[in-house]
Amino acid sequence: MTNNNKTRRITLTQFNGGMILTKYHVLAGPEGYLPPAAACQGIRLPEVGWALIEGRHVPEQEALSAIVDKLLSAKRPFFFPGPNLLWEWKDGVAEKASALRKLADTAGARVIPMPDYRPKYPMINPAIEINPNHPNLTIWHNKIDVCVFAGVHCHYANVALKIIRGGTDCYTIAICGEAGHEDANITLRNAGIPQIEALTAMVAERRRLC
Amino acid sequence: MPEQKVVAPEFMFTEAAREEQFITGSEAVREAVRRANVDMAVSYPITPQSESMHLVGDIYAEGYVKDYYRGENEFAVMCSVAGAAMGGVRVFTATGGPGTMRALEMFPTWVGARLPIVCAFFTRGINSPLTIQPDTIEMAHLLDTGMIMLHAEDAQDLYDMILKAFIIAEQTEVHIPVGVFADGFFVTHTRDKVRVAPADIKLPPYKPYSAPVPVMDMENVPFRQMRDPFVMKSNYVSYAAHASWQQEVLAAAERARPFIRQYLGGLVEVENEQADILVLAGGTAVCQSREAIAMAREEGIEAGLIKIKSLRPFPGEELRALTAKAKAVIVPEFNRVGWLSRELRNVVQNPDRVVPGPRVFGGMTMPPDLILAEIRRYARE
Amino acid sequence: MSKAMFKMTTAFADVMPAEYVELVQSGPFGQGYGVADLGSFKELIEEHPLCAGCGLALAVRLIMASLPTPEDTVVVGSTGCSSLAFPQIALQNIHSLFGNQNAVASGLKRALKLRFPDKHKDVLVVAGDGATADIGLDMVMHSWSRGEKLATIMLDNEAYANTGGQESGMSPEGCVLYMAPTGKKFKKIALPEIARESGCAYVASVTPVQPRKLEKAVRRAILVAREVGPTYVQIFVPCPTNFKFKPQETLAKAKQREKDQTYPLREFITPEAQAYLAALEGGGKHD
Repeated sequence: MTNNNKTRRITLTQFNGGMILTKYHVLAGPEGYLPPAAACQGIRLPEVGWALIEGRHVPEQEALSAIVDKLLSAKRPFFFPGPNLLWEWKDGVAEKASALRKLADTAGARVIPMPDYRPKYPMINPAIEINPNHPNLTIWHNKIDVCVFAGVHCHYANVALKIIRGGTDCYTIAICGEAGHEDANITLRNAGIPQIEALTAMVAERRRLC
Repeated sequence: MPEQKVVAPEFMFTEAAREEQFITGSEAVREAVRRANVDMAVSYPITPQSESMHLVGDIYAEGYVKDYYRGENEFAVMCSVAGAAMGGVRVFTATGGPGTMRALEMFPTWVGARLPIVCAFFTRGINSPLTIQPDTIEMAHLLDTGMIMLHAEDAQDLYDMILKAFIIAEQTEVHIPVGVFADGFFVTHTRDKVRVAPADIKLPPYKPYSAPVPVMDMENVPFRQMRDPFVMKSNYVSYAAHASWQQEVLAAAERARPFIRQYLGGLVEVENEQADILVLAGGTAVCQSREAIAMAREEGIEAGLIKIKSLRPFPGEELRALTAKAKAVIVPEFNRVGWLSRELRNVVQNPDRVVPGPRVFGGMTMPPDLILAEIRRYARE
Repeated sequence: MSKAMFKMTTAFADVMPAEYVELVQSGPFGQGYGVADLGSFKELIEEHPLCAGCGLALAVRLIMASLPTPEDTVVVGSTGCSSLAFPQIALQNIHSLFGNQNAVASGLKRALKLRFPDKHKDVLVVAGDGATADIGLDMVMHSWSRGEKLATIMLDNEAYANTGGQESGMSPEGCVLYMAPTGKKFKKIALPEIARESGCAYVASVTPVQPRKLEKAVRRAILVAREVGPTYVQIFVPCPTNFKFKPQETLAKAKQREKDQTYPLREFITPEAQAYLAALEGGGKHD
């Protein structure tokens, strides 16, 4: 595995009294054998109304545009809906799941679910499902260049996002209903149906213009 | 008990009128738990912790805590609160010294399982021969469990930190346990003025379905879910998953920083930090240091104080910046190993400036003169 | 399916893996199936990594088919062979540490009682003999003494099988195993009797040789634990890997031990539990 992104990943931002202060960039991989958690490299989660693009804090609208760019320029975009959107376990889930599916369909993306988080024995079929313990297998098998996480419990999303950044060149997007994910290349926070529908409208409009 | 109204944490912590009570540290624990909307507490006796959990039992009897019992040993207590937390309720417990060591296997397990348990630790000596007297050596053993660690200087800190610990621990992006540490006897058994919020308000309840992991109640998804499955097959895939899991736990503690700043006003507190001789201390060593600095000032020697409130996450950046120009950083500690000075040496430039001591242990008090002597020594240099 | 949590969102139903589709279409949730229905419904257990001929795997399969209400059952396990199977079971379940299962389950049961006071949330402890009778015995016994409303099941393969076959307190006297190189020096721990004396309202020891009998014990244990008090079921699960017999001989081994009374089948029921069960079973609700 090559590690040619390494030099781009850390930039010198300040030279202060003999100490080099650095800034980490959450870029697509493959980053290497064991990439760090972005949070431990100084990347902070966005405030409400804000988002992260590669570790940079941006207004949510800017991230929505960036997500649309990534989805439409991808060769093989995939959505990975997690359990929270696969089952009608609480009010509002069915509507959010429908909105997300409409976004995937409008963007011409395929869908592979993350139905649970167990290490699966004896093996996983990467064409059918993705698993947080070895998400790279699904990415490699399906040659996925852009993926969208939604409805995955935050802990497992972060476990998977780091592994993807370490071992694949897949660009990761998190549509998170909670506080967001530093380990994704782009993350929204508190994202619900309004954000998903805005993305769908933007994708549809871009497709209409092309 | 009066009917308690749920209020926003910010109201509880800052806006609510406070009444001054003259109470012990153990009673401050009771007053914090009374207002924390705790669902369940499990207790086990060990000096100097016991009284605090007696008092939690008293407010359970009054109806402030919904369930409470005495477990069979400290390890079992830590297991029971873990089971309760996985079932989606807010839990509290406390231990100290040998109890901490008996339960040690559970602390990294809590963290890996992302359980927002709040546990108070009242520190005492742990090695043979037995002592019940104060000593902070057990904290050295907990520094790398992954838990958030807050160190209270006095009963007021203890009250504030326990209440705030629930709110910090339960943030979705944090969601790991918080240990609130106080020096046994010096804090638990001494009476002090503590300003507390009214007893008729309480924190909002825990929201289990905002957790970063599924709740074990068969009411949420996925229903095929073990917390937590073994990730240990002998292959790179498993190693990478376990490594990423460990990193995520570290990341969770990192994400606590803004909440510690918001609710505790920072990971450290400083006084006279421009001085070129600084004293860094945690727990009751802070009071002794403050006294020593006042004595030094009477002699015309200026020294500053850094009170460390959060040990995990560690305020590395703050300490680097605060100590940048100091010619000496004196680290008085209530343990023989000097874990705080080791921690400081790891983050500051020119670590030879870190003065590893004075240290007392085994229950000894720390006369401010010991710290003053160090301040004088470096003032002369 | 009785609960919305078992209903797939229509948006993604077309991409769900077959095992989940089958669970929705023909799984046991809300159906009241039992072991007599095995083969006609989608079971809770998926493919697991346990050994060929594993008696424990068979027992787990039967236990899962015996649950009165799987849709409201949470299992607490422990480290050991069974903990390799439990990630593959379609129930929420906890593995915490080795031996701490009854302490974890005590906290869990109380939490679920606080959150769902009007519902039966069955907390079922399933652990091996090492976890139950050795390293976790204090927590097992104390959960019984406290009267925690838990059903505790021991999967007794008479050794520490997952760590390579060491002697446990449940190994038969004289048995040569790792850490007992000259044979075990003391008798098998009499845990059913200890359970009876420690406050269990229902105690049974069974083997998978008679699945209906196993089912009856498991169901009774769970039902009694709902209303009366703690319960204990000990299931003999022969281990071909560590006791070096052929995988196809597992049931024959269990049968032999039943027959020669070296694994006696027993059932202790308190009068209160007896009355409770009579009321339930008299209604024909459960066999």
